[in-house]
Amino acid sequence: MTARIGSALLLVLLLAAWELYGRLSGIPSLVVPLPSAVLRTLWDGLTSGFLLPHLAMTSAEMTLGLAIGCAVGFLTGVLLAEVEGLRRLLYPYIIASQVVPKLALGPLFIVWFGFGMTSTVVITALICFFPLLENTMTGLGQVDPNKRELFRMLRATRLQTLLRLKIPAGLPVILAGVRVSVVLALVGAVVGEFIGGRTGLGASIIAAQGMMDSTMMFALFIVITALGMAFYQAVTAIERWLLRRHWTN
Amino acid sequence: MSFVSIDRASYDVQPGQSIVDHIDWTIPAGEFHCLVGRSGCGKTTLLKLAAGLLQPTAGAIRIRGSAVREPSPEVGFVFQTPTLLDWQTALDNVLLPLSLARRPLPQDRRKAEELLDLVGLSGLEGRHPRALSGGQQSRVAIARALITEPALLLLDEPFAALDAITREELQDDLLRLCALRGTTVLFVTHDIAEAIYLADRVAVMENGRLHHALAVDLPRPRGRDARYSPRFTALCRALRRAMDGAPAEPVPLDAAS
Ligand SMILES: Nc1ncnc2c1ncn2[C@@H]1O[C@H](COP(=O)(O)OP(=O)(O)O)[C@@H](O)[C@H]1O
Ligand SMILES: [Mg+2]
Repeated sequence: MTARIGSALLLVLLLAAWELYGRLSGIPSLVVPLPSAVLRTLWDGLTSGFLLPHLAMTSAEMTLGLAIGCAVGFLTGVLLAEVEGLRRLLYPYIIASQVVPKLALGPLFIVWFGFGMTSTVVITALICFFPLLENTMTGLGQVDPNKRELFRMLRATRLQTLLRLKIPAGLPVILAGVRVSVVLALVGAVVGEFIGGRTGLGASIIAAQGMMDSTMMFALFIVITALGMAFYQAVTAIERWLLRRHWTN
Repeated sequence: MSFVSIDRASYDVQPGQSIVDHIDWTIPAGEFHCLVGRSGCGKTTLLKLAAGLLQPTAGAIRIRGSAVREPSPEVGFVFQTPTLLDWQTALDNVLLPLSLARRPLPQDRRKAEELLDLVGLSGLEGRHPRALSGGQQSRVAIARALITEPALLLLDEPFAALDAITREELQDDLLRLCALRGTTVLFVTHDIAEAIYLADRVAVMENGRLHHALAVDLPRPRGRDARYSPRFTALCRALRRAMDGAPAEPVPLDAAS
């Protein structure tokens, strides 16, 4: 508790110092806007409703991209973990595709899917796909050999072993992949909008940049950070709930 | 009538390197046999051959006369570690062998609860494994192996990680439960006193071979007194000598002195 108060105090102190320095040095607000001005812009943007459609758009893209990317990544991970031949066939390509900078594909997606939400969702999903794929394969692969032998002794079918042993046992690792994906999804959605968005927080940053409105850009950074933290907290809560049986009392 | 017969069974990891080397052994129905030997002598491998988890590279293992080719529902296995599913309650862990075969019925749950009572875990059926002590986890593992009422129970050093007193309690529970159903048992251990206390017959294994057998003639049911009887001490000494590689020699009944 005291640590939290300390952290909050530090923030207030830093903002005060920033404000004071900005006022005394007379640095132009285009370069570094005053915290008070940023907060006012943020407040106005929220109360006037100007920011809300952008916030809604980015949240929707992030949610869709995260859901699609995680679902496809998980299913592909299960498939590759279970089918040895397929894994050997595809693994070199998966490694190669890991290092491809996915964001660099943005312009291509705009050609394919047009400006707007679809392109951004596809980029976001693509970025979220890999951590899930990787962690699902790892999670399913590192099941305690004794437990596998137990399931063999109990004559469990392959599907039973997957559903009742490998997935529950690998769940902590799989969910750690989801947590990584959340952070990447925010980057994906915002940068996707930089490239091809008309609405959304990323698109608004580009618009504000066009108007040389640094104050607005800072206000948008704050909104994006808050959005990311909200998603992260939500996923952590879901993770705790799903793993409640793994670490009871 | 032999229930299990191991007939010149071998298991080679590669040609010429046998972990289990031409072993002959039979267990009559309802008897409790122990297998002792140093770490790495092939006990676990022999047990897995008997369970059908491994296939012998030569020879055969037969249960009721038919060769073991795969794990059978008639055989229960208790691993060296409890190997419980952390995300399920003690009760669901005990029910696992049944719930993999079919949807558990209310009477299955009652049976699981009874078994948990029998191994001294009444009231803990809702606990998850991490909230149980090592001894309690071993008890859950034994209850799980018994729920299908296997005719043959194979145990691989199940109590090795437990303290002496918990181990003695579990030995008594195991003897009681197996006597109740007339279960045939092959129990692997490296603890000499444990082998003598539990077994009707003890086999000594070394480097993949059985090189000695000892009949244990302590009367049943055995209790705490049996552990401190002179006869018990004499049998332990004889087994120890056998493990040191001394030639087989009978233990005279008056060896107590
Ligand atoms: N797959 C394997 N390949 C090579 N060596 C093995 C393999 N499995 C077991 N061994 C060796 O066989 C020996 C017997 O193992 P094990 O049956 O586990 O012995 P124990 O249970 O008596 O300690 C050990 O020395 C072990 O290293
Ligand atoms: Mg062993």
